[in-house]
Amino acid sequence: MRYFNWCLMIVLIVAGVSLVGAAATVCCEKTTSGLFCQDVPAEQCASDSRSVPSACSSVSYCKPGVCYDSNEGACVSNTPEIVCNANNGIWSATSPPQCSLGCCILGDQAAFVSLVRCKKLSGFLGLQTNFKKTIDNEVSCILEVQQQDKGACVYEFEFAKTCKFTTREECSLGVNGTDTKGSFFKNKLCSAEELGTRCGPTKNTICVPGKDQVYFVDTCGNPANVYDSSKQTDKDYWTNVKDVAESCNAGKANGNSPTCGNCNYLLGSVCRAATSETARPSMGATICADLNCKTTQNGKAYKHGESWCVFNDEGDTGNGINSVGSRFYKHICVNGDEVLEQCADFRQEECIEDEISTTLGTFSQAACRVNRWQDCTGQIDKLDCENRDRRDCFWKEGVKLAQYEQNETVTGTCLPLNPPGLKFWEGAETQGICAQGNNGCVVTYEKGLLNKEEKCIDNCECLLPLWEKEKSEICRALGDCGPNINWIGQRGYKPGYNVSITKVKSED
Amino acid sequence: MGRKDYKDMRTFSLMVNKRGQLTLILIVGIALVAVLLVFFLYPRIKTTTTSAFTPTGFLESCLEPAITPALDIVTKQGGSMRPEGFFLYGGEKVQYLCYTSDYYKTCVVQQPFVKNQVEQELTVVMQGKTRECMGKLKEEYESRGYQVSGGTGSSQVAFIPGSMNIEMSAPLSVSKGEEKQNFKGFTVKRTSELYDLLLLSSSIVEYESTLGDSEVTLFMQYYPDLKIEKMKLSDGTKIYTLTNVVTNERFRFASRSLSWPPGYGVDNALL
Repeated sequence: MRYFNWCLMIVLIVAGVSLVGAAATVCCEKTTSGLFCQDVPAEQCASDSRSVPSACSSVSYCKPGVCYDSNEGACVSNTPEIVCNANNGIWSATSPPQCSLGCCILGDQAAFVSLVRCKKLSGFLGLQTNFKKTIDNEVSCILEVQQQDKGACVYEFEFAKTCKFTTREECSLGVNGTDTKGSFFKNKLCSAEELGTRCGPTKNTICVPGKDQVYFVDTCGNPANVYDSSKQTDKDYWTNVKDVAESCNAGKANGNSPTCGNCNYLLGSVCRAATSETARPSMGATICADLNCKTTQNGKAYKHGESWCVFNDEGDTGNGINSVGSRFYKHICVNGDEVLEQCADFRQEECIEDEISTTLGTFSQAACRVNRWQDCTGQIDKLDCENRDRRDCFWKEGVKLAQYEQNETVTGTCLPLNPPGLKFWEGAETQGICAQGNNGCVVTYEKGLLNKEEKCIDNCECLLPLWEKEKSEICRALGDCGPNINWIGQRGYKPGYNVSITKVKSED
Repeated sequence: MGRKDYKDMRTFSLMVNKRGQLTLILIVGIALVAVLLVFFLYPRIKTTTTSAFTPTGFLESCLEPAITPALDIVTKQGGSMRPEGFFLYGGEKVQYLCYTSDYYKTCVVQQPFVKNQVEQELTVVMQGKTRECMGKLKEEYESRGYQVSGGTGSSQVAFIPGSMNIEMSAPLSVSKGEEKQNFKGFTVKRTSELYDLLLLSSSIVEYESTLGDSEVTLFMQYYPDLKIEKMKLSDGTKIYTLTNVVTNERFRFASRSLSWPPGYGVDNALL
C-alpha cells in the first residue's frame, strides 16, 4: 500500500528587512535637535552636551522634579533640573511649601492656587488678597464663594453716593482693593431706588465673568438681574436680586432668544456678544449664543460638550478584521463646531463611547482608549480570552494556530477584536507577527492494490476552499497580514498569502 | 378765446421749465463745488477733528504693525521665534513643550513656563521696534516745538488677563515754554486673551507629563470660550491648537508622550 502525504502550506508574504543591531543609548543633556534629557544613541547628543550611559531618570541634572516660578507662583512637575534652571525656576525633587494650594477668594469667584499666585490674581483684578490655606480641596473652595452673601455695597466716591454689587466681605474690607468701606445691603441691587445712589436701570445688558446668563446692567456698570425684556420697566426687578431659577424660561437653553437671557451652559448656551451669526436681542448687545451642533458628519444633532466615536474608513471594526491604515476617531461638539480627534495610529487606540441618561435626555461621551490586543494569541482558554477587563480579544472555536496544533487541550484561537496596524513596509517585526498565521495540513491519500486511483482518507477538509478562507481570516485578525483592503477600500496588488502543495513523503 | 387761453398757458409753462432748468443747474453746480471742497479739504478737516496727541496713542499706532506678525509667528510655533526641538507640521516648525523619544513613557517637560517664554521672545523681537518708536515719538515732540530729553531705556512684553502690555521704562521729559511734562515710562496695551491660552498650555503640558495625555473635553467644559484641537500623528506626536472662539486668538504647540509603536515595537527596540 502506498501512501501519499501532501502538505498544504500558507506562506505569508511579508517584506524582508534586515535586522539592525541595537545601539547603546545614553542620557543626553541636549540632543542635536534641541531636546533636553532624552535617552538616545550617543551620536544624537549635541556636541557641547553632557551624556551619561544611564537612564535620564537616574541622572542628577535630568532627574524630574518640581519647578517653581517665584514670580507667577506657578509649579510645574516632571521638569528636569537643567530645564528648570534654564527657565529661571527653582527646582526641587519634591513639591516645595510654596506650591501648597489653598483657596483664593476673588470677589464672587474662587481659584484653588498657591499663595503667590493668589496675590498675583488679586492684583490683576484690583482686589485685596484673600487666601484661605485651611481649605484643602477645590470643591470646598468653590462652595466657600457660593455661600457668600451678595448685594449692594453703598459708598461715597468723589462726593457722590455710589454703589458696587459685590460680596459682603469686599464691602467690609474695602471696595475695589482700596480702603473705602461701604454699607452692605444683602440681596439688593445697586439700582434699588431706596438706596438713593446714582445707579439706575438701563436697557443695556452684559456678560458676567464666570456666569452663563445675560444680565441687565445699571448706569454704574453693575450687573442686575437676568435679562428679561418684559421686566425692563419692573421696579421690583431692579430692586431685589432674583434667583436664576426664578428668571425667564428657567431650565431651558434659551439659545438665540431675543427676549430672555437665562442661558444654561450645560444645555448648550452661554452669554456672548450678538453677531451676524446670532439672533438680534430686543435690548442690549449680548445674547444667549447657541453652542449645540445641529448638523454633524453622521447626520445627528449633538449638544455642546458631547463626544462620539466615528469610523469612516472602509471595512468593519470589532470582529477581527480592520482595513489596512484605518483608525478610530472621536468627534466632539464644541461651540457649535464639530471637532475631531484621532485615536492613535496603527489602531493602538480604539474609540469607546457611552451615553449618560439625564432628565434632559442622553449625553454622549467618547474616549480613545488603548487597544489591548498584545497578548490575545497567548490565550488558550475561551474565558481568559474574552475577559474584557484585561484584553480586547475574541475566541474563534475550532481553529488553531500552528503553535497550538499539537496541544489537545486547546480548542480554538484567541484573536484581537481590532487587529493592530503594522509597519509592514519596514522592519522584521511584521514577519514575526504574521508568521503566527502560517499553517500546515497533512492530507493523507490511500491507493488500493488494484485500483490505482488515490483516495483522500485524512484531513480532507484542508483541500476545501473553506479551509483556505479560515486560515486567511486568522492572518487578517493577527494584524495587517494576509489578504485585505486598505482604508479607502482598495485591495492589495498581491494575494497576501501563498498556498503551496508539496509531496512530503511516500510509503509503500 | 379758448385757443388764446391755451397759447398763453403754454408760454407760461415753458417759462417755468426754463427757470426750473436754471435752478437745477445751479443746485447741481453748488453740490459739485461742495463735493470738491469736501474732497480736497477732508484730510485737513479730519486732522483737526482727531483726538489730542498722546504719547501712548502715538506709540500704540507705531508698534501695532510689528506686534501682529510677531504674535502670529510665536503663537504658531509653540512660543518660540526660532524653535529648537520642533515637529515640522504642514511645513511649519511647532515646538515641543513636552517630549520623550521613547515609547510607553510619559514625556519630559521641555518648557515649564510657556507664558514667560512667549513674553521673553516677544520682548526680544519688539526691542528694535520700541526703540525706533521712541525715537519717532521724540521727533514728533520736537516737530511740535518741544524740547525733549531722555527717552532711552528698555521694554518688556507682559501678558495679563485680557491684555498684552508692552512696558517701556524710558523716562522722557518734554517742555515748551512754561509747559513741562515728565514721563517715567509708557505702557502700550493691546486687548488679548492669550494669557489664558498660555496658562492652559502649561496645564496641558502638566497632564501630558504626568498622565501621558490630556482630556480636552474636560478643559472645554470649564472654559466656555475655548476650543482645543488635538491632532495625533503617526509617530506619536500630538499637535495641540488652542483657540479662543470669541477673539479667534490661537496658540499651537507639540507634545510627544506615552506613544505606542506599531505592533509590539520590537523593530524600534532593535533600532
